[in-house]
Amino acid sequence: MPNKVTIWKLRNNNPLRKSYVNNNIKKNEFDALVKITVEMSRYLYPYIREILKSKEDLEENCVIWNDFSKRFIELIKERFNIDCMRVKKLLNQAENDEIIIKSLLTLSFCISNQGYQKLRNFLFDF
Amino acid sequence: MQNKLSFHQSSVSLEIIGLPDYSNNENEDQISIISQWKLTIIDKPLIEGKIEHLGPIMNAFYIYSNLLIKNEIPLYESNLIDIKADNLYLHNIVLKSSKPNVKPLIFKIGNSLLSDTINCFDQLNESPKVRIKKTDVTNNTTKRFRFRLINKVKFFNFVMPPFVAICSLILFSSSFIYFYNPIEDKEKNELINQE
Repeated sequence: MPNKVTIWKLRNNNPLRKSYVNNNIKKNEFDALVKITVEMSRYLYPYIREILKSKEDLEENCVIWNDFSKRFIELIKERFNIDCMRVKKLLNQAENDEIIIKSLLTLSFCISNQGYQKLRNFLFDF
Repeated sequence: MQNKLSFHQSSVSLEIIGLPDYSNNENEDQISIISQWKLTIIDKPLIEGKIEHLGPIMNAFYIYSNLLIKNEIPLYESNLIDIKADNLYLHNIVLKSSKPNVKPLIFKIGNSLLSDTINCFDQLNESPKVRIKKTDVTNNTTKRFRFRLINKVKFFNFVMPPFVAICSLILFSSSFIYFYNPIEDKEKNELINQE
């Protein structure tokens, strides 16, 4: 990744985004994105853990989960194509809990030194 | 004097006690012969055992976490440990003792403790100071991907030899165009007929 603009451009390859551009991601770009994700999840692990923990005991500690869920939905509405069925599913609060928890769990399992390889394998199986 | 190594991740810590293999000229701080291990999860009962139990327990956690993420039924059962999902964020663990008349140890952990435990096992797997039969997580390429790779290799093995053969035939026979002149051949035949 030569600069931040390249990463910003690569984000637009996501077909769920409003500003979707259909460019094929090269293998080295895919690897770089996976590495960035692993590094970010390692850095954010304490937060990811707290969000997961908050969901476990919602009666006592619902603030973190509710904040995260609210922000997640706000971001999706702001940046994703809300006419798309898959995005509608993400916005549906009854269904999106499972997606959010599984995504957070995937990230939290990949914070080790070999996390890059693990996340890569998870993505190939997705 | 035994060596002791600890791996920590938030609310979980894993302690490995053992000796280096001096016959292999290992350093004094290395652990190759594990005599005991302890997995401490805050507010949960202490889990400890021998080396032969550590591998299966680590494998159980890895397999279960993979099932959980891959939208498959999150259930792992063996003669040593059972892990079952109660719901999206609570997991039921049953540890069975190898000794007779000992009741199984049952407790529940949430997603946060599950990820802490997996990360502790990852640290152990990656530690250069402990030599155990490493759990093969990273090279565990998924079945679907492996299938795709095998298919690709098979397809190439199937198509490439005839393709190369046809290409070499074309190249070889096209070189004869320069040696064979059909007009000259016609004239020769006419001369023979006249004679």
